[in-house]
Amino acid sequence: MSTVATAQLELQNVTKRFGGVAALDGVTLSVAKGDILGIIGPNGAGKTTLLNCISGIYPPDSGDIHWEGASITGTAPHKVARLGIGRTFQVVKPFGSMTVRENAAVGALFGSAEARLAPKAAFVRADEVLELVGLTPKAGLSVTALTIPDRKRLEVARAVATRPKLLLLDEVMAGLNNVEIDEALEMVRAVHATGVTVVLIEHVMRVIVGVCRRAVVLDFGQVLAEGEPEVVLRDERVIEAYLGERYAKRLRA
Amino acid sequence: MIQTLDASRRWRWILPFLGAVVVAYALLAPLTSLDAAQAINLPLLADKVWFRIATIIAMFVVLATAWNIIGGLVGYAAFGNVAFFGIGAYTTGMLIAKAKWPFLLALPLAPIAAAIFAALVGLPLLRLRGHYFAVASLGVGVAVGELVQNLDYGGQPIFGGASGLFLPIFSIDNRGLFFFYLMLGAAAIAIAVTWLVLRSRFGYGLIAIRENEEAAAVMGVNTTAYKVAAFALAAALTGLAGGIFSQWNVFINQDNTFPIEYNVQMILMAMAGGTGTVFGPAAGAILLQLLIQFLSGSLPITLDLPFVPSDARPVLAQIILGLLLMLVVIFAPRGVIDFFGGRSRLSLSYLRRSLRETSI
Repeated sequence: MSTVATAQLELQNVTKRFGGVAALDGVTLSVAKGDILGIIGPNGAGKTTLLNCISGIYPPDSGDIHWEGASITGTAPHKVARLGIGRTFQVVKPFGSMTVRENAAVGALFGSAEARLAPKAAFVRADEVLELVGLTPKAGLSVTALTIPDRKRLEVARAVATRPKLLLLDEVMAGLNNVEIDEALEMVRAVHATGVTVVLIEHVMRVIVGVCRRAVVLDFGQVLAEGEPEVVLRDERVIEAYLGERYAKRLRA
Repeated sequence: MIQTLDASRRWRWILPFLGAVVVAYALLAPLTSLDAAQAINLPLLADKVWFRIATIIAMFVVLATAWNIIGGLVGYAAFGNVAFFGIGAYTTGMLIAKAKWPFLLALPLAPIAAAIFAALVGLPLLRLRGHYFAVASLGVGVAVGELVQNLDYGGQPIFGGASGLFLPIFSIDNRGLFFFYLMLGAAAIAIAVTWLVLRSRFGYGLIAIRENEEAAAVMGVNTTAYKVAAFALAAALTGLAGGIFSQWNVFINQDNTFPIEYNVQMILMAMAGGTGTVFGPAAGAILLQLLIQFLSGSLPITLDLPFVPSDARPVLAQIILGLLLMLVVIFAPRGVIDFFGGRSRLSLSYLRRSLRETSI
């Protein structure tokens, strides 16, 4: 009962099929306000599909998604964004003809309905979020001049500029080296410290253990395990899903 | 190093300066046709032919600049914008010829009718992507023209049918001057609208859609509404030009208000000038329309072309235009506007870089 009362985002039995494949198969989970939830799972487990269903890119085939007590199942992406749910893309999607600063400003010009800014104020906000993710020195550059880690930072900056109450991060640390991961972790902590709930998909376990209070493991579209990151990662079923049965047996022995 | 910098700085002002001269000439030459100017023996710089050509150029500035809003800013290749021109022309034309409205009252309804039509067809069409949208919009352009010519009611053609629609002449002194300045006003409005859009939330939303529609949507851009609004805005400006054209030309029919070649010409002008920019489409429209008029022999300055009979010159103009545009698209994909303001200079290395950019 209490989880229902405090949950900011709630998914009940969410199913999404592509042809015969169930990318999501009855996923139920809830995220409390102020939480940092990690979603892990092998490739093809349905992690990105889960974010796409929440942010409205795909309507789920069945099940319900509730945001702050109201259903947002099948709501269009721009409406979801206006309700205060921001997201990044695993494959970065910058606005190629714009500068780094303009990219961030688009987030501030649109985004959360109550936080929309006029152009002048949006550029001020853009400078703030670029500072937050460490892109200030590159604000005037064209995005085509950015390295991959910087493009991932820009994805985060743009999403944060929308002033989300919930931020969905899709593998923003994949492909980064150790130093860059530390910087990115700092960035996520800094965003969370401003009162934003965070759901992040990550393959890098150090990230999950480092910042997440809770982790959910997806496998074949179903929730395999849920709980504190350290506990979940030691779960035999999780090791099996990631590394195969034989490896799990060897660990046991 | 220093020397080349100085040299480029010395030449940087040339293009803007030439542009300013052309604009000043276009604005002031008509005044020499006024009675007061003739009374003090000023040379006549603008005769009937001058007005005809200058008004057509201004009209294409409107068409190319308007196309740029949907094609250049949103990146949706609309191939049927001539439908809005025709709808504007027939709205004003019908109100004047059949309902006996005064011209200046009938004109504002041209952009309104064109915008409403664009919003209605835009809602389904703008859900299509890329080539599908281009082909579907081309179909709309053709279909509307056919409908206008062929719709009957009680055995009578509603819009004048194949014999077209005659409007009463708008009686005013210096008609040529009046319609030129009116069309020029429409061009100024189109350019000003583009300038304002590019500085607004709306404009950033449109460019975000062009660059990545999905990313724009999750930022909170209502992509469908924005695309339809941009399409309707382009249609309104195009319809305004059509409305002015109908009263200026006095006679309208399917051929002169729904010409399919306008669809291609306005796109080529915008591309040659520079899509997505404020002044690029206007620059492209002026240059290409002057070239078309020159090649077809209607300018005072003309060249005798060997082996070409004079009645084949318009065809030759189209061929040369086509070749030139291929070169522009390949070697100067950002249009001639890129050379204004000293950002880039036309050089061999510029052409080489462009070729690398535009080829696989």
